[in-house]
Amino acid sequence: MKSQNENTIVFEEDFYNSSITELLEKLEKLKASSKSKILLDFSRTINFDTLSVAIFLHFEKDNGITLILSDTIKKEIAEFKKNIAFDEKRNDEISGIDSLVIKVEDFVSQMKSFIILTADVFHYSFRALFNREGRKEGSVYQQMLLMGNNAVPIIFLLSFLIGLILSLQSAAQLRQFGANIYLVDLIVIGMILEMGPIIAAVIVAGRSGSAIAAEISTMKITEELDALQVMALNPLKYVVAPKMLAMTVCLPMLTIIANMVGIFGGFIVGVLYLGLSPDIFINRAVSVMTLYYWYQSMLKSVLFSWLIVLIGAHFGFNVKGGAEGVGKAATSSVVAAIFAVIITDAFLSLIFYFEF
Amino acid sequence: MTTENIIEIKNLVTKFDDRVILDDISLEIERGEIFVILGSSGGGKTTLLKHIIGLLKPFSGEISVLGQDILKMELEDFEGILKKIGVLFQGGALLNSMAVWENVAMSLEHHTKLPAATIRNIVKQKLSLVNLKHAYWLFPSELSGGMKKRVALARAIAMDPEILFFDEPSAGLDPITAADLDDLILELQKKLGITLVVVTHELESIKRIADRILYLQKGKNIFCGTLDEAKALGNEEIDRFFGWNKKTKNN
Repeated sequence: MKSQNENTIVFEEDFYNSSITELLEKLEKLKASSKSKILLDFSRTINFDTLSVAIFLHFEKDNGITLILSDTIKKEIAEFKKNIAFDEKRNDEISGIDSLVIKVEDFVSQMKSFIILTADVFHYSFRALFNREGRKEGSVYQQMLLMGNNAVPIIFLLSFLIGLILSLQSAAQLRQFGANIYLVDLIVIGMILEMGPIIAAVIVAGRSGSAIAAEISTMKITEELDALQVMALNPLKYVVAPKMLAMTVCLPMLTIIANMVGIFGGFIVGVLYLGLSPDIFINRAVSVMTLYYWYQSMLKSVLFSWLIVLIGAHFGFNVKGGAEGVGKAATSSVVAAIFAVIITDAFLSLIFYFEF
Repeated sequence: MTTENIIEIKNLVTKFDDRVILDDISLEIERGEIFVILGSSGGGKTTLLKHIIGLLKPFSGEISVLGQDILKMELEDFEGILKKIGVLFQGGALLNSMAVWENVAMSLEHHTKLPAATIRNIVKQKLSLVNLKHAYWLFPSELSGGMKKRVALARAIAMDPEILFFDEPSAGLDPITAADLDDLILELQKKLGITLVVVTHELESIKRIADRILYLQKGKNIFCGTLDEAKALGNEEIDRFFGWNKKTKNN
């Protein structure tokens, strides 16, 4: 490119977009320094690339520029304009009240499919209790190891810490009233009825709920579920039922561990901080710990285990898209499972508290 | 060999929302033939295949496989039909959590009462049929694309099915492996008398294996018959597909 005088640039035969940054910078400077129009002379240019055509079009719309174009360029611009003359707006863009309606409809249809899935999973899981057909040998045991056994250390540690901290914070208050012994009631009831089931469920939802969703959604994306189906193996029987059975056994067991370890945390605080004698703590704990509380605890954890598996499976089966969809399914399943667990817990606690 | 229709489809229509994917498809596939479904991308080939194997339900129409109407069937009866067919998916669709031999053994383990040793022998035999004896203990993640397809083929023929479905068997394979796969397909047809339904784009493979073809264009059946008949038809799109009216650079 050549500058003939201050406001005119004449271009050679070749113009490629590699020189465009330089040109645009030059134009900026020229515009800043002079107020008159800038003349760009492309009358000799015949060799140029597609990106350059877009740039010519950009210059054409610029009021500060007078443009002289060769016939070849004009022809290409006309062609270019034809090619871009379609509406780029998405026609499925919806706004306002309509989008709300669609969200509600979507939620309703999700709930519908969740309920159908729940019914199917219960059906096949119940049948799987008596009939080993249609699932891999040893799959329930393998799932128990994965979801139950491998979760023990983390549940051990976390429920111990929570039991310890919960007691420590309460102990400071109780001591002011000389009600030291009631720490035992507090930690025993608190752990068995609420904290134990919830800690176990939240950890298992994070560990296994997401794993279930990720596993099923990946299987769906890689057509493994279709492959199972055409081999006359029902994915619900083959994939979901073993998990359901394993989880129904494992989560209550993990809850028992969480309860006991949490109470042990309280025991440490009671003995070392409040100066209760171990005998008194244990006697009191045993007398507070009625079977009724344990029933409640177990009932909760069984319900939570079903929620975790069902929600994981639901998000797994309804996956959309590729790798991103799997990530979303895993995340949503954890969030939804924890949400459902806490709502159910609150609901059950109210029922039992008022003994409806 | 008497001609018996192993698959019959009548007036099949499929819609996703309002988009018509398959528009009034009718066809018959005879026992023992290699039937190739082809057409441009997005033409509904895979969708048609998925209907025949029951993975999708149509909007209207009738599909019968092995003489039974699969749309009016109970799930358990349909599973009986599924045991007599084998499907090779595009990506192989092997179960990643299981070794190759377990993948091949799956249907045998679940649908036959054969003793474990016999199942292992059958698996070995099927794996050597696809030249993959050495992959017995490997996992799907350790296999190349071509090997995965061959394992999937071994799995599909594990139960000696009456019909085998292939969804783009040679897509993404090099020409030599693809040709080997074609040989294998022809061998299966000859040896076991299996009916094969193949969805493919590969011209070479179509010309080698196809007894009859179905050409789908935007969900419509525009041709069904032998290759020679297709050539004689003079349909512009089919001619372009096969390159029969290709102009060379020189003229």
